[in-house]
Amino acid sequence: MGLLKRLTDWIDCRLGVRDIVARELTGYLLPCNINAWYSMGSILLFIFSLQVVTGILLLIYYVPDADKAFKSVTFIMNDVPFGWLIRMCHAVGSNMMVLILLFHMLSVLFMGSYKRPRELNWLSGFILFNLVMGISLTGYLLPWSQLSFWATTVATNSVSSIPVIGQFLVEFLRGGKLVGPPTLGRFFALHVTVLPLAMAALVGAHLFFLKRTGVSTPPFGVKDSKNRWQGDVYRYEGHPGGIPFFPNYALQDATSIALYLAFFLAVVFFDPYLFFTRESFVAANPFQTPAHIKPEWYFLANYQTLKIFPNEFIGLAVQGAAMTFLALFPFLDRGSERHPLKRPLFMAAAVGGILLWLGLSIWGHYS
Amino acid sequence: MVNEERRKFLGICLGGVTASAAIAVGYPVYRYLAPLQKENAGSKVVIPEQEVPAGGAKFFEYAGSTAVLVRRQGGELLALSAVCTHLGCIVQWLKEKEEFLCPCHAGHYSPEGVVISGPPPKPLARLPFVVANGAITIG
Repeated sequence: MGLLKRLTDWIDCRLGVRDIVARELTGYLLPCNINAWYSMGSILLFIFSLQVVTGILLLIYYVPDADKAFKSVTFIMNDVPFGWLIRMCHAVGSNMMVLILLFHMLSVLFMGSYKRPRELNWLSGFILFNLVMGISLTGYLLPWSQLSFWATTVATNSVSSIPVIGQFLVEFLRGGKLVGPPTLGRFFALHVTVLPLAMAALVGAHLFFLKRTGVSTPPFGVKDSKNRWQGDVYRYEGHPGGIPFFPNYALQDATSIALYLAFFLAVVFFDPYLFFTRESFVAANPFQTPAHIKPEWYFLANYQTLKIFPNEFIGLAVQGAAMTFLALFPFLDRGSERHPLKRPLFMAAAVGGILLWLGLSIWGHYS
Repeated sequence: MVNEERRKFLGICLGGVTASAAIAVGYPVYRYLAPLQKENAGSKVVIPEQEVPAGGAKFFEYAGSTAVLVRRQGGELLALSAVCTHLGCIVQWLKEKEEFLCPCHAGHYSPEGVVISGPPPKPLARLPFVVANGAITIG
């Protein structure tokens, strides 16, 4: 203990770390009524880190070549010690990231935390959500299985319905008329460099916005759940008399991460192929389309929307409009009330939207 | 009032759980990164005799490393490790001079692997081999 204290003193005299700890951890106060939903961001940061680590480990054995990709993934699964564990953590982790991200967004929506002055927090988070979808889509192709190949064919093909430039865009995206080796090269570069770097930058921006605006007060357990932001000058939302981030809320973050890990590892060890189909275990064959090819669960609603409209462009336009509406939601919802039960219109639209999304996903799964 | 005994006990438990978690994560990652044991490691390599003419050398992979078979003008056959004992470069066979040269730092070895000049501290390792029915079996 004496040595640790001396080492801390030595560093503290040079860098003033105790001051940073007092200001950013023990002195960083959060609302007294803060709840477990506020730890979703920490879980996501943990998942992102785990995805980066397992992704780097997979890069050691993965070969991004159409002739070798499937074989290299099979090698990782069957021959490399614990290769199956690293790959399953990466594959299951990508699905979990989308799931927890949806919970994070829903908690922000229901607690009205997106409302001004937090429009930029919402926008950066929304772009992050799209990047997560993008990194999942590009990663899906990399094992070069029948599922990867044909799901990517279907997903990229929907872009062709955009008038005038649609066909050009599809070919540009694929690097050719059809999905093939050039597509693998492009998706690999996007998956391992462009998208992770963009995500890391946006996570930084997201945290910076959170730091500058301050943590929002949950609308539950307080008499006044209205947003009191004036909009005249910059004001940091502090919480005098609140609970310290460290150790109090850090313990909540650790608990949430532990619970997430229990759920995540239960899937990895007891149902690792939950997100896999039979086609995931067959090498890509560009001359043989398998029957009933379906996208990942989080794209099923988009897939079904494209199917129910007689014109694919209308289906795409509807989705584009829905996404634009969601992206600009803090600018459209100008009401000051934040408690969900005091926002009946929001509640009806949100619950209706969730049910519609679930319904379309289930329909897409069984169609 | 802080119960020091209880705090110490909880600290030890937390340390134990953290150490167990670190081992549970660290061991699979170590095994994943450790060099793979090739199936043919340590097994024999068979090379047809005509591939090593008089004065010629044949380099090949052996036990995860590089080895060389050399036949002197007089017909004597030798099997050696081709890894220079100085800094691990692969030696080259100089047919005219009938000696090995390590191009990295000019280490010279005789066909038997004995150091003639340069920085190598030890001779090249000799490998066991047998010749039968026109084939050379190393190992």
